Amino acid sequence: MLFKTEGERILIKSVSDMDMIIGMQNVGIRYGQGAEILSDINMALKRGSFHFLTGKSGAGKTSLLSMMYLSQKASRGIVKIFGRNVTYTDRDSLALLRRKIGVVFQDFRLLDHMSAFDNVALPLRVCGMDEREVRKRVTELLQWVELDKKIKEPASTLSGGEKQRVAIARAVINRPEILLADEPTGNVDSDIAYKLMKLFVELNKLGTTVVIATHSEKLITDFPFPRLHLQNRGLKIYRPIIEDNTVKGGIHE
Amino acid sequence: MSKDIISSRKQEVPLQDDSSNVFLQVMVCIAVFLFGVTLAGTLSVNAMIKTWNDSILGALTVQIMPVVENNKEAMTAEVLRQQSKAVEFLNEWPGVEKATPLSDKQLNRLLQPWLGDGVDVSDLPAPRLIDVKVKKGMHINFSKLAESLVKEIPLASVDDHKIWLDKLIKFADSLRLLAMVVLILVVAVTSGAIFYCTQTSLGLHHHVIEILHLMGAKDTYVAQQYARKACFLGFMGGIYGLILVIPTIFVISGLASQIEGGIVSETTLSMMDWLIIFSLPLFSCFISMITAYYTVKHTLIKFM
Repeated sequence: MLFKTEGERILIKSVSDMDMIIGMQNVGIRYGQGAEILSDINMALKRGSFHFLTGKSGAGKTSLLSMMYLSQKASRGIVKIFGRNVTYTDRDSLALLRRKIGVVFQDFRLLDHMSAFDNVALPLRVCGMDEREVRKRVTELLQWVELDKKIKEPASTLSGGEKQRVAIARAVINRPEILLADEPTGNVDSDIAYKLMKLFVELNKLGTTVVIATHSEKLITDFPFPRLHLQNRGLKIYRPIIEDNTVKGGIHE
Repeated sequence: MSKDIISSRKQEVPLQDDSSNVFLQVMVCIAVFLFGVTLAGTLSVNAMIKTWNDSILGALTVQIMPVVENNKEAMTAEVLRQQSKAVEFLNEWPGVEKATPLSDKQLNRLLQPWLGDGVDVSDLPAPRLIDVKVKKGMHINFSKLAESLVKEIPLASVDDHKIWLDKLIKFADSLRLLAMVVLILVVAVTSGAIFYCTQTSLGLHHHVIEILHLMGAKDTYVAQQYARKACFLGFMGGIYGLILVIPTIFVISGLASQIEGGIVSETTLSMMDWLIIFSLPLFSCFISMITAYYTVKHTLIKFM
């Protein structure tokens, strides 16, 4: 038993430390002296789980994700990633933890002055991987996301959809243990969105823990995974309800 | 350590577009120029001191001045008494190997070119001389020796150009100290400029560095990129500085050699000195690299 089971905000009652890959206990975030935008967040995500993260705009989805990818520190409470309390982890160890986390940012965060290839190669290069291996892996993956013709183009000249595919390729190139995505299907047409979701599901089957922040109700109904829903600064979890083989993904209070 | 600093392949932080690059090169160029000229000065002063020291070391002459008195015999006796006292004194002085008074014959020979043959030294009010041999490798404080000697033997005097040289060497020594302070200041100012330029650049490329961090880059990864850039800028600035230093040294030593037979005639630099001056770009490259590397490491702690 990791978290106390009291009140309706307790989401997952008992996940052992071994199983838990992302854990939060009474976590709150505030920026500067402002009010908390997230309060008393408690969660314990199992290794190999798949979750959607939903909530209205401004509900704190990005803030919650950024705590998971170790960019944002909690103002209070305990955040444990890979079983380590990140508050007490030194900078170099945090860097090593980040290498096991793939992130697709809402604004892509590509290095505009570098090519599609160099952007995707980045996570491998920071690990010091051999350049031949980098070339092989990146070329393969760019082919898979159908960007092999744009391999040398600077990221700044790519279209929104292409940038998104580069961002996704960069997030998965390192075969991360955790994959976090902020609206990854927002800028692509439904065919590609479906293909990308298939990729995430495939990675999940291989053991990657996935959290996808999304607004798309269609995505949630098409893929029956539990959803973390942010509401009134807190977090609730909803399991998919399957009736007559169709998923009802709506929020059931 | 330096291998660790430069062993990374790809330049993700676009440092080549930084506007401070030109400034840093000019800064390093001026620093190397000042450093080079000061260093050349110090090295040639060193060479000068060495020549002077060689001429000072080894031997000196002490004179026993004659007393003008009617009683010639008494006079001679007094001078000889003081001479033997002085020889005794000098032989006990630390660093003196042997003090030998010059005989009448030797004195006669010394005076012969001026006075011709057949002159008896003992008849003349000429000074008696004592030849003092100094132990090898010993440096004698001549001013102190002269002072103590005169106190004991009022008629004695140490040849004063040695004392003058001794003072000059002391002056040159303090000049050398001053040069050292200048060199340290030049290095400090250059490092300071690199420190602030690097910090500004880190702020400028904040978003790129954040992405690198998010991809799992350690601070060292970013620091290596800055170190490599600073290494290049430091080296190039050093080369420009060197291009200015060399003609300057020649102009100065040309001017110095016009002072005929003067004390600055020995301002030639040895092969080793030139080697040191030619290695200045490597030195500036190293200083720039180290400063940039540790500035990045120090500053990134405040980042994400």
